[in-house]
Amino acid sequence: MEQAYYFEVPGAHLYTVLHSVTDPVARVLLVGPFASERQNSYGPWVRWARYLAERHIEVLRYDYRGIGESTGDFAEMSFADWHEDVLLLTEWMSRRFPAVPLLLHGLEIGAILAGKAFHAGIGDALLLWSPPTNANAALRTTLLRWMGLLQLLRYSEERKTASDCIRELEQGLSIEVEGYQWSPKLWRDSFNFELPPAMNNEEASMQKYRRPVKSIILAANAAPLAKKGIVGGGDEIRDLSWLYSDNFEWMNGAVASFVGGGQ
Amino acid sequence: MDERGRGKFCRGGAVIGAIESRELFTLDGQNVRLQGTYHRPRNGAAGSSAGTRVHNPIGVLFLNSLFLPRTATGDSAVYWAESFAARGYPAFRMDLPGLGDSDAPLNTALLDFINAGGYGSIASAKIKELVDRFGLSGVVIVGHCAGAVTAIFAAAASKECKGVILLDPYFYLPQQMKKSKAWKRLVRWAATSIVGGALSKIYDWLKNIRLALGGSRPPGNANFALLRRWSEVANKGLPTLLFKAPGRKSTGTKPRVGEFDYIKHIQTIAARKSQVTVQVIDNTDHSFANGAGRTAVREHVERWLRDCFPFSESIESETITEASLVESNKIDYENQAQCL
Repeated sequence: MEQAYYFEVPGAHLYTVLHSVTDPVARVLLVGPFASERQNSYGPWVRWARYLAERHIEVLRYDYRGIGESTGDFAEMSFADWHEDVLLLTEWMSRRFPAVPLLLHGLEIGAILAGKAFHAGIGDALLLWSPPTNANAALRTTLLRWMGLLQLLRYSEERKTASDCIRELEQGLSIEVEGYQWSPKLWRDSFNFELPPAMNNEEASMQKYRRPVKSIILAANAAPLAKKGIVGGGDEIRDLSWLYSDNFEWMNGAVASFVGGGQ
Repeated sequence: MDERGRGKFCRGGAVIGAIESRELFTLDGQNVRLQGTYHRPRNGAAGSSAGTRVHNPIGVLFLNSLFLPRTATGDSAVYWAESFAARGYPAFRMDLPGLGDSDAPLNTALLDFINAGGYGSIASAKIKELVDRFGLSGVVIVGHCAGAVTAIFAAAASKECKGVILLDPYFYLPQQMKKSKAWKRLVRWAATSIVGGALSKIYDWLKNIRLALGGSRPPGNANFALLRRWSEVANKGLPTLLFKAPGRKSTGTKPRVGEFDYIKHIQTIAARKSQVTVQVIDNTDHSFANGAGRTAVREHVERWLRDCFPFSESIESETITEASLVESNKIDYENQAQCL
């Protein structure tokens, strides 16, 4: 069963969708795409949640504070707020079925958020899709893609480049990217919002955390979950079952290792 | 489930189906489950007196734009829905089957499906369900781009539709214009180089000559089924507000040189009972999601709603405060399994 709710966090309500299953073998929190990446990859992300739920994994997906269906003003939000979202949601999930393994799965900036929570001791396994080294790297690729699209839509004299936008941010001005107001603070903070260093290497992660960690870089054939050129080229309805099945298999293995070794 | 599908309520927790200004709803009729968000109208908002409720108000319903979830680009639909609700108009955003959070197999040729009016009948059926559920006197349908195509098909089929708002609609069949990769590269080159720009202008004028030879008839790739539905909608006399974003190499409502003037054509079709208002929004793009676009759309729509759908209000004996409604919707986390 799929049910949408609002989840109270300080100063806002998160939009959550719980894909509940009877007798779940595991639970997973999906920490999804950030800001405008959400709208571009919503379909494949929801289909991934359904794929897992059909295979007895309970899924909770949600919108970040100030994004999508969640309330709050995006321009006023910070990485600390979005990190807190993950902590509060995992706390709730842990209370639901304490005996069932909890997996964290994040995409891009969501991977950093999930990674930081895992680093803090939350979750029994971690799956990262296209984690950037820091949030700034993800913001830059979004900005480049957006400016590329505007190149096609506007006259040359109206065109700004990505460098112009970065200069404005560095000068303390906000810019608009696909309808979202990026503040200079967001840009500044993004440099220091990093994936925990051990997670850059799966083996090092396993040694450090002693819990399963998998990290993969999605290629263009996983668009729109992987950023690629211009959106709207039919990628949204692309069959990604190959990606889902590979990662589900890994989750299954991670759950088995938890059941075998963690009891 | 209660009559609005909020779920069974338990007290004392923080997972809720409704908050002060919004409520999540599902429409389950015809075995098709659609997920949506309802933005509650504010009492005492402009156009209504404090402490009063409008009987059977007109709702404003947003449909998906192509594959986008119901929030739309940059959450612009959320912004508009909140704004219209603040003005006293209940606003709804609904995911059509297979889109956003509404489950159903998604048509793999989505654009073709939409252009053929594929969502028209289900949208129309769900509008009736929405009107009945929320006690509306009707809805104004808002559609952007491909959503505007669905809005026209749904408006033609729906008795409950009382008005239409179209954002950058198109009346041709883009799939018939699919070009090779080499062509796309050429277009990109023409858009970014001086020589390419000059050649592109010559190409446009050659197209214009061909277009002029065809008279005022729409070209072969026009969406004739959509134009017929448009004619039906216009002849019903439904108030229609059409927004146009600036396009490349075009000014005002005029299309680029060499392209057929559909805006002029649909105004001609609608002439007899016309209630069509065309508004060009400057300093925005096709999504209308930037600051200039979303503000201009909001202001024009609010004015248009006040003019076309003024409130006729009366005081209701039932007085439910928003706070009590939120309280009644609270669901306890720990008891959730028993609650649902």
